[in-house]
Amino acid sequence: MATPVSQAAPAVEARQLVKRYGTITAVDGVSFQARRGEIFGFLGANGAGKTTTLRMLCGLLRPTSGTALIDGIDIVAQPLPAKARLGYLDEEPFVHPHLTGREFLDFVADLYGMTRGPQREERKARLLNLFDLAQKDGELIGSYSHGMRQKIGLASLLIREPSVLLLDEPTNGLDPRSARLVKDLLEELAARGTTVLLSTHILEVAQALCRRVAIIDRGRIVAIGSMDELRVQTGSEGANLEDLFLKLTAGPESREMIERLLEGGS
Amino acid sequence: MVGALPIIVRTELLAARNRLLKRNPARLVILAITLLVAGVFLGGGAFAIGATAGHFLPFALDTLLAAGFTGLSLLMLVVGFPTVIASLFVGRDLLQLVVAPVRNRDIFVARLMIAVTANLLLSFVLAAGVLGVGAGAGAPWFYFPMALLLIAVQVLVVTALQAILMTVILRWVPAKMARDVAAAVAGLTGAGLYLAWNLNLRKTFGRRGTAPDISNLASVVQRIDWLPTTWPGHALSSTLQGNTASALFWMLAALALAALLVATAELLYGRTLVLGLGVFGGTTTVWRRRKAVTGSRPAPQPSPRSGVGVQRAGSPYFAIARKDWLGFRRDVRRLTRLLPAMLLPLGYAAALSQPARNLSGFWSNVALVTFLSMFMSSALATPSIPSERRGFQLLRLAPLTMWHLLRAKVFIALPVVLATMLVFSVAVAVASKSGAIQLLELVIFGVWLAFGFVSISVSGGAIDPHFEATDDRRSVGVLGSLTSIGGSLGFSVISIGALALFLFGEQAAAGAGNLGPIPSTPAVGLAMILGGFLMVAAGCALVAVMLTFANARLRAFEGSISET
Repeated sequence: MATPVSQAAPAVEARQLVKRYGTITAVDGVSFQARRGEIFGFLGANGAGKTTTLRMLCGLLRPTSGTALIDGIDIVAQPLPAKARLGYLDEEPFVHPHLTGREFLDFVADLYGMTRGPQREERKARLLNLFDLAQKDGELIGSYSHGMRQKIGLASLLIREPSVLLLDEPTNGLDPRSARLVKDLLEELAARGTTVLLSTHILEVAQALCRRVAIIDRGRIVAIGSMDELRVQTGSEGANLEDLFLKLTAGPESREMIERLLEGGS
Repeated sequence: MVGALPIIVRTELLAARNRLLKRNPARLVILAITLLVAGVFLGGGAFAIGATAGHFLPFALDTLLAAGFTGLSLLMLVVGFPTVIASLFVGRDLLQLVVAPVRNRDIFVARLMIAVTANLLLSFVLAAGVLGVGAGAGAPWFYFPMALLLIAVQVLVVTALQAILMTVILRWVPAKMARDVAAAVAGLTGAGLYLAWNLNLRKTFGRRGTAPDISNLASVVQRIDWLPTTWPGHALSSTLQGNTASALFWMLAALALAALLVATAELLYGRTLVLGLGVFGGTTTVWRRRKAVTGSRPAPQPSPRSGVGVQRAGSPYFAIARKDWLGFRRDVRRLTRLLPAMLLPLGYAAALSQPARNLSGFWSNVALVTFLSMFMSSALATPSIPSERRGFQLLRLAPLTMWHLLRAKVFIALPVVLATMLVFSVAVAVASKSGAIQLLELVIFGVWLAFGFVSISVSGGAIDPHFEATDDRRSVGVLGSLTSIGGSLGFSVISIGALALFLFGEQAAAGAGNLGPIPSTPAVGLAMILGGFLMVAAGCALVAVMLTFANARLRAFEGSISET
């Protein structure tokens, strides 16, 4: 576990990642880097390859070719030290329905070999309070709503303070107050040096939080950079992220499609 | 909406076809071969037994047929229950039908056709047996279609009864307990059935080399003669006796009962469909761990048991073990499903522990301990990794190797198997008046078996896990099950062989062995003991190969696991 980490290495690096399923190429040569303490947006339409890329970065999928590095450590070659550094939150968090929130946090903490003691207990209590789960202390996760599962999933990442967070739609299913809490939390974590790779459909969230974004379309990165850099790349001065996204992942114009549909129906 | 029923049925058939086609062609071929072999062996065996009984036991045909139909009904009631619940009360497609302008009757009839599938499959064996009875007894031609019709009617009766039972549970039991009550009813009925069956089996076929004693079975059937489950049997036996009026009476009674039960089920189903979907169609029903906390409360204080003040690193092994234990304790369905599986080896052991076997007492005990350890390991350890479900991804994300996980699962299942096996070893050793040395040998052998069987069973589950399965019984695929069974059987043979070589080798070395043509000399004894060590090494190698294969399969797992 004590693998030395070069501070110069990017916190997250994808090098020519490819994932093929038979004849279908889900991810096709994806490369990007997320720097230490950065919130990096990873955007794409449904089925564009976002989740597959994230799963290769966290070690759930083995790339067909290419390399995924966490803090400079190859997750395929040295999975244990790489995994010890990262926290991954799936769209549907991986939770155990027959544990209470507190028991689940204990389970995850033990799984990662965290030292038991007052500090851990205190952190657990603080996280449960932070996510408004303290009053659900006696309830099993199976009875939680989707938003609450999302929150306990996030709490299970934060209890062990990983240096890299890979989050797939973390605000999915959260009420506005909780969504705001998560956004504030991510900014605070990034300010303290945690790297956050954020995959989301909510472009307002990405625009507000991310210093840089990568846009993936049909398995390939089509643009990468800050908002200003993307505007320059697309020649769209003053455009917001939604306009840039639609331009970069161009399909048939939606207005045109709606008109055609309505004409066909009438 | 008159046309809804054929549309729903057509869609279900389409979905079934797609599910089949989606399967790996190799698996389809294996499935077809397995079905064919099982059909030939089970169907052929049942037909042969039926034909023999029909020919040689004409005086007992009413008893046998009534018992056959009752036995089938009980089996369907237990084994087919999950399918009935899943077909009638579970599924997002059902929700879609509920919100569509479709009559409840159409939904009921369409889903009933799926609900009967498991029961129909079970009835195949009885159908073969009943047709065999007709062939053996020289029945008139109309006996055969009538038998098939009555079996189909019985399937419908039991399925409708299961639907009614579920609607009653849903109406009378609080929603959050309904699922567990249903599982408990099925589990306890199953356990009762196993025990009753085993006890009856002992009394009827207990003495070897003599004809079966039907009198016990007859007295049991006489006591339950009024049960509607015996009516089709009476109808068929009346046909065989040439009593047409009686046959017609019993057949009409069976048909009327089926019509009444199906109509009642349809009526009650319409009233509880939405309630059932609320209970079964959504997320898992779980209990509160303790009484609900009302109002706001201060930040939770660390509990005294949570390790405050104790500075030690958390252990992934204990974390997984604790999580498994809590999950088992709180998931009544898993417990109730396990209950019959746990009782099965005990029931069989009780049925097989007959006096006057050909084997000596010690070797009879060895066989029983082997059988018990193998079944217990299979029931407990085989689903241990697939039962992680989506939580498996959490384990993959953690800095753990799959070796860690396999080891953890082996050490979690081992104490239970060891404890049961030790208690059983002592019990059989005391019952057979074995000496202390033989008891010690039996215990050492049992510990060796428990380690081997648990490791092989855990590996079997890891080799072909179905993490998506909501039921532990379906959480291991064909490959995993076959590997586990094959590995366990191989390990049994190797282990018993090694034990025999050690014991007989020791006797031969001492010049006290009675080994037939093999001379009892120290050299032969030594060679046999060496052979025993080789067998032990082969057993270790088998376990190592299974664990290595399982580790490789888990490491290569890449599937996404949808919500379970």
